[in-house]
Amino acid sequence: MSSAPTATMATRNGAAPDLSADTAAVAVQDLRKGYGRTDALRGVTFEVRRGEIFALLGPNGAGKTTMIEILEGYRRRTSGEAHVLGADPGRPTRSWRERIGLVLQECELDPNLTVRETVRMFSSFYPAPAPVEDTIELAGLADVGDVRVGRLSGGQRRRVDVAVGIAGDPELIFLDEPTTGFDPSARRAAWTMIDGLRGLGKTILLTTHYMDEAQRLADRIGILRVGELVAIGSVEEIGAGLRAGALIRFRLPPGLAEHHVAAEAGVPVEMEGELAVIRVPDPQPVLYRLTSWAVHEGIHLSGLEVIRPTLEDMFLELTAQETEHD
Amino acid sequence: MTDLRLVLLQTGYQLVSVARNRRAVVFSLVFPIVLLVMFNSVFVKGSDTVELNGATINAHTYFTGSMLAYAILLAGFNSLAITLVMQRESGQLKRLRGTPVPAWTFMVATVLRCVATVGLMTVVLLAIGHLAYDVPIAGSAVGDILLYVVLGIVAMCSAGIAATALIGDVDSASAALPLIAVVLSLISGIFVGVDQLPSWLADVARVFPVYHLTSGLQTALGGGSLDAGNAAVLALWGLGGIAVAARRFRWEPQAVPA
Repeated sequence: MSSAPTATMATRNGAAPDLSADTAAVAVQDLRKGYGRTDALRGVTFEVRRGEIFALLGPNGAGKTTMIEILEGYRRRTSGEAHVLGADPGRPTRSWRERIGLVLQECELDPNLTVRETVRMFSSFYPAPAPVEDTIELAGLADVGDVRVGRLSGGQRRRVDVAVGIAGDPELIFLDEPTTGFDPSARRAAWTMIDGLRGLGKTILLTTHYMDEAQRLADRIGILRVGELVAIGSVEEIGAGLRAGALIRFRLPPGLAEHHVAAEAGVPVEMEGELAVIRVPDPQPVLYRLTSWAVHEGIHLSGLEVIRPTLEDMFLELTAQETEHD
Repeated sequence: MTDLRLVLLQTGYQLVSVARNRRAVVFSLVFPIVLLVMFNSVFVKGSDTVELNGATINAHTYFTGSMLAYAILLAGFNSLAITLVMQRESGQLKRLRGTPVPAWTFMVATVLRCVATVGLMTVVLLAIGHLAYDVPIAGSAVGDILLYVVLGIVAMCSAGIAATALIGDVDSASAALPLIAVVLSLISGIFVGVDQLPSWLADVARVFPVYHLTSGLQTALGGGSLDAGNAAVLALWGLGGIAVAARRFRWEPQAVPA
């Protein structure tokens, strides 16, 4: 996981990171969106720094697409502040649109035009587009440049969506569920492509409901649950902020009860079958007490392991109270 | 200047797309030509005449005017509306709105695509009528023909764009639009003379632009004097359609995904 370029710059200048709307690519403050009586977004606050890849992660119905479509200038927010490249996305202007690139969730392009014609047409809408052939190459479409869009596979078509999204050489790219419906190899290819965009210094805001995708691609992650941001930060930061920071597990030595172990370790012990389980934010001091005691007493803690939660575990925990609404 | 370039560029890509779309080609181009040949070869003889607005017009001339009006109806109203609904429901229009390209350049390009199609059809239909069925194209009539072609494009395109505001999904569009076109063609003198309709039905037909377009083109081709009323009704439909389209046109898909 690479650190955000803005953070690097700030360190170099010896100044604290400036997170005002002028330097953040996207700044959202207490943003709300209501549809009739239900609220799709209930006071969301976050920022995307320039040069950063930020992932909005959440299950279906969490409000990811509502959020990204407000920032793309398609929907109006009900209340709150939003700045995208310093401008209000509620009033999209032509010059603002020239600086952002979109990859919509459900999008079709003219099936009768070839890939090259499509990219060329979209490029012409922008004042300083990337060279058409570079865009086609970067999107991994070099082999199908002269094939009509309607004859491409689903995965290839999605690449054309990405190609027209980056055709204008935008500063900021929105990717709404870029790999939903992809098979594993197509997803890996898409990830490589997004890495390519990172290499060009683009700021990217993507949504996904795949935890591994967010973990693989994003510098920072915001987790949405029914319209609320329940966690934000790097994977490490989100993990550190959770109650179950780590899990220590071993087979309970014969002749000992769990309260013996709890007394020595200084923390509560739960039993899961034959396994003693200890949940702690920081496992190091507990491990020290536990293993010192065991070595001193000549006890073997068989199967001893320390388990760090994966992003998937965190995600499941954070979204555990998910309602069935979609 | 740049925006004009954007208009022409989009017009070009739209024409390329239409030319590669077999259904659009058959529907807008082949259909009127086949009907022109069918009517003039199968249903009428060269000596037949039709009474129109007090003038007597040769039947070949009458049906050549009919098919020109029919081509404008298909290209301007039907094809345009169905294509727009398909572009809207598939998300193409929404995608376009997310680019810096001004919305009006897309609309103008869409109308220009229609102008190009109708222009081609006008030349082809008049050439077939003239060469195969001896329909006279008097130099003095060319101005009148052009006037009605232009008014017809304006009325049909704006009605077609406005109609998309009332149509929620592609299925409705492909069911409702051809039905509307067939009914209007039948009562507007394209296939059957209006004088053969019950008078109430003829009165209904006079409300809609197709009758006035057909009548105007037939009269112009037949060398008759223009009825300013025909032109006025077409212009009114054009303005009304533009007003509705400007207020009600939708860029985002309307149908709720199943």
